[in-house]
Amino acid sequence: MKKLGTLLVAVSLAGALLTACSGGNGNNSPGNNPDATANPGAETEQPSSKPVKLDIIETGNNLPSPDKDIIKQELDKALNIDLNLTVYPAADDYNNQLNVRMSSGNFPDLFMVDRQQLIQFSKQGLLLDLTPYMDKLEQTVAFIGEDSVKKGMVDGKVYGISKSPQIPYNTLWIRKDWLDKLKLEVPTTVEQLASVAEAFTKNDPDGNGKPDTFGLTGGKLGAFSTVFGAFGVGMPGNFYEKDGKVVNSLHEPAMKDALAFIKNMIASGSVDPELLANSGLQHQEKAIKGQAGIVYIDWPNMTKEQFVEQIKTVNPNAEWLQIAAPSGVGGQFDGSWDIGAAPGRYAIPKALEKDPEKLQRVFDLLNYISNPDGGSLLVQFGVKDTHFTLEDGKPKMTDKAGEVGHSWLYQFTGRPEMEYLQAKFAAQSAAIEFANDQPRIEALNGFVDNPEGYNPADANRYLEEEIAKFIYDKRPITEYDDFIKTLETSMNYKALVDSAMEQLKALGYGS
Amino acid sequence: MVRGLDDKIFNTIIYIILGLCGLAAVLPILYVVSVSITPFGEVLRNGGFILFPREITFSAYRTLLTESNIPKAFQITVLITVIGTTVNLVLTGLMAYPLSRRNLPGRNFFLLMIVFTLLFSGGLIPTYLVVKSMGLLDSIWAMILPNAVWSFNVLIMKSFFEGLPEELFESARMDGAKEFRILLQIVAPLSVPVLLTVGLFYLVGHWNEFFQAIFYVTDRTLYPLQVVVREILMQSQQPLENAENMMPTQTMQMASVMIASLPVIVIYPFLQKHFTKGMLLGSIKG
Repeated sequence: MKKLGTLLVAVSLAGALLTACSGGNGNNSPGNNPDATANPGAETEQPSSKPVKLDIIETGNNLPSPDKDIIKQELDKALNIDLNLTVYPAADDYNNQLNVRMSSGNFPDLFMVDRQQLIQFSKQGLLLDLTPYMDKLEQTVAFIGEDSVKKGMVDGKVYGISKSPQIPYNTLWIRKDWLDKLKLEVPTTVEQLASVAEAFTKNDPDGNGKPDTFGLTGGKLGAFSTVFGAFGVGMPGNFYEKDGKVVNSLHEPAMKDALAFIKNMIASGSVDPELLANSGLQHQEKAIKGQAGIVYIDWPNMTKEQFVEQIKTVNPNAEWLQIAAPSGVGGQFDGSWDIGAAPGRYAIPKALEKDPEKLQRVFDLLNYISNPDGGSLLVQFGVKDTHFTLEDGKPKMTDKAGEVGHSWLYQFTGRPEMEYLQAKFAAQSAAIEFANDQPRIEALNGFVDNPEGYNPADANRYLEEEIAKFIYDKRPITEYDDFIKTLETSMNYKALVDSAMEQLKALGYGS
Repeated sequence: MVRGLDDKIFNTIIYIILGLCGLAAVLPILYVVSVSITPFGEVLRNGGFILFPREITFSAYRTLLTESNIPKAFQITVLITVIGTTVNLVLTGLMAYPLSRRNLPGRNFFLLMIVFTLLFSGGLIPTYLVVKSMGLLDSIWAMILPNAVWSFNVLIMKSFFEGLPEELFESARMDGAKEFRILLQIVAPLSVPVLLTVGLFYLVGHWNEFFQAIFYVTDRTLYPLQVVVREILMQSQQPLENAENMMPTQTMQMASVMIASLPVIVIYPFLQKHFTKGMLLGSIKG
């Protein structure tokens, strides 16, 4: 009997071992296992009367639970689907999830990818080539435009659906009340910008007798977008057309002048000392708190009611003014705007090929939300006559619009940006147009795919570090040419530049 | 008991150091508490930093508890924690006890296998495939079963069981008790400290459930608390992606942190005495 007892224990133990796990599941390097031999598309086919379940993943936040998600309910009803959207607030989490699912064959039916992922997954044969299906996606193509279709191409084949393009939001904002107090004019040249920033730092614009303010802040180097623009150069690393030729901003002689100018601004103490450490929206916070007098930021973060209220709580007299980019020797540009970038891309797994019914539903969904007479209004503004009303063909949000504040998560094909924003942000309409109308250098980086042997992460880090050294006077600007040399040789930046020139030429730029 | 000057100086220094350490631990919590109950405008007026609130509001808590996904997530987390910890303790106990019996056939082999899992893991994708093929994806079991037994805790429990006097078992057997009776009526009651210790490890682990949730669960209604709280916190740290994004205020963020951590903070002191005891018992008799 005793033996039987121990045997029993041993058997139960073996069973327990099976479930054992070290618990240290923190290993989140997904690795590259493209050859995982799973059996995709093995999901049982459902009769067409039953709703088809569609799994969609993307980055995003604030998605309500399905019972409160009116957009989902409406889409489900209209298309006879059961849409399961999952959003990940952090890009890292999303990429981990996507990599795991791609490697394990548990493909979502539609998922967001960046350009790199689009290339990588399509080369691994994981994505469905949409080229033969273009006639089924007519509505979608009409909605996003041919240019956006090109952005989803790899080697001439369409692997991704790109969202329709966005418009720029960023401009300089300045404290009007501070200007008035110090009897200064709105700066129109970079020199004036620098002197106003200095005055904001040294002349106690908030009148509290303490040197607790500074001039300019922004998200990292972006704070100086207009300064680069005034020297006629794009942001460091931008490709763009100049005098009919494609150039890289780093090779422009004026880049050195721009860096020298920025160096002087920083040396005068008028720039946020934590500028390069600002992450997320810290620059906005500093502006709201009354620490900074000039900020380079997007209009939503300065003009949405939530923030206006905060600004007024801190100081009822605070008045922020949106201003045009100051001019300089190189012209007047509000930084650069990448016309090659897509606000988002979505791909369909190759495995869905074997499930034509489901594939058709994905197409239906994309077409439906791209149809101005169909679901496009739904994913933009919500349910007609509940969340918005049409007045003379123009949508007007009602006070129930808050229920569908998350509708942008369902805009897989984008939206007609200007009309959309004007309707959703009627009160901010002037600021939206102002930002959109600013002259900007048209960067082309979004069109450029990284060549083999070029590691963008390393090169960008080196680029950022060295630029930081130049503008913080840790490295003399006379060594700029050495810096370019190191960048091009050690960091293989030359490969990128050469390849970019070739790729852009093929697209008709610089010829 | 006259203490010399040296002693006094020594003590003073010790007190200062300990005081600073204590302060370093308390200040951040105080900050979180204060911000969570101060109106956001007041926080901004003070340059974003307050330790003692001058104005108090619970509106952030009210909003979170009525309008966000937090109440649902709270339920899920409590469910995972209760079911998970029970499953953990039963399985870990059933595994550790036989391993503590020296007459178990193949004992060293089993021990080796357990230690092996401590050092090596299958990696993310194989684990994901296992979870998937078990049909656990998108269920709360995906957050419970993959880590049902934590090897380290098995070893702690095993050491504890080994420390129980052999005579106890002999006398029980002499009275006619079989293996299961010994386990349930003799070993279990004697093992309360170690069960509580290991239980606390598991409990905190489940309460902080995050990784498995974001990997194995895509159904929002099954998201545990930490995932939802992180979503609230992440929003403010990312540059604008969409104009219509509502930004949770700092007050809101801190309130969500409080809701997520308060239960564990409350439970800790009650379990702490067993905790230290259990740890010691485990470690001495290795």
